[in-house]
Amino acid sequence: MTSRGTPSRFLKSVLQNGVGRYVCQLKRLSLVFSKDSANSLGVREFIEDGVVDFARQNPGIVVYVAPEKCSIPKIVAEYLNGTVKEEPVNRKTSEEIRQLIKKLSDQSGLEVIRIRKPFHTDSPSIQGQWHPFVNRSPSLRVQRFVKEKSELESS
Amino acid sequence: MVFLSLSRWIRSRGPDRYWRVQEVLKHARHFRGRKNRCFRLAVRSVRRAFVFATKARKAKKRIMRTLWISRIAAATREHGMKYPALIHNLLKCQVALNRKVLSDLAITEPRTFKSLASLAKRRREEGFLVALGDKGEPEGIFSRIVHSQ
Repeated sequence: MTSRGTPSRFLKSVLQNGVGRYVCQLKRLSLVFSKDSANSLGVREFIEDGVVDFARQNPGIVVYVAPEKCSIPKIVAEYLNGTVKEEPVNRKTSEEIRQLIKKLSDQSGLEVIRIRKPFHTDSPSIQGQWHPFVNRSPSLRVQRFVKEKSELESS
Repeated sequence: MVFLSLSRWIRSRGPDRYWRVQEVLKHARHFRGRKNRCFRLAVRSVRRAFVFATKARKAKKRIMRTLWISRIAAATREHGMKYPALIHNLLKCQVALNRKVLSDLAITEPRTFKSLASLAKRRREEGFLVALGDKGEPEGIFSRIVHSQ
């Protein structure tokens, strides 16, 4: 778990989301579960209770409910910047699934890896970044040319 | 002839050796030489890398502080002062900027840093006047201490 060995990124937002209008970055949510097995019990309960309310409250998210034969149920979240996140919800309660879905809808699609600095600016310097001639006198830029008297006399 | 006991000699060793090895090798992929491929060498290198990373967390704080100090020292010398004088006099003027912020100002805000350096210089001169001059001299304006409520 070294800093060079594990991926890291800088703090950023997706297209300055939130400066103007806030757009929910989650675009698609697919609930994959099985109709009969016991490990999808929580998912089935959530589909009975909370899925419709969640879909109504978040009109920008498309929710797909896919009952199929699968060994473990999972939730597939797709974001606007293309990242796909799969979360297994094996043997989770309906409440836990509700909180997980809330967390997924609050995330943007940026990867959950180490953030190098907790701050970011596009304009770090207001007065102009330091360079070696900032504190030197501007007379260094002046070059004096002296007319030679012999040339004057000859012309 | 029928070989019946041949099949009994085949053993199934542990089925997940591959994944146990990959868990270690994935941390060694950016290493140089055979230790990024061979498990026996990688185990030692990965362990050392983790130990170095653990120790470096404390050292990083020290290293960053010395970096900030050297940057502030260079910037103050451009303005004709020295680092200890700057820090002590800024402290006496109740300017509670830490070394990180001072080094960032020196890089991105050179004029602000120049004004801080001149403030410290003036406070230093006032300190000398108080120490060396006679007691009848009034204290300079930068030597006044503001008491927060």
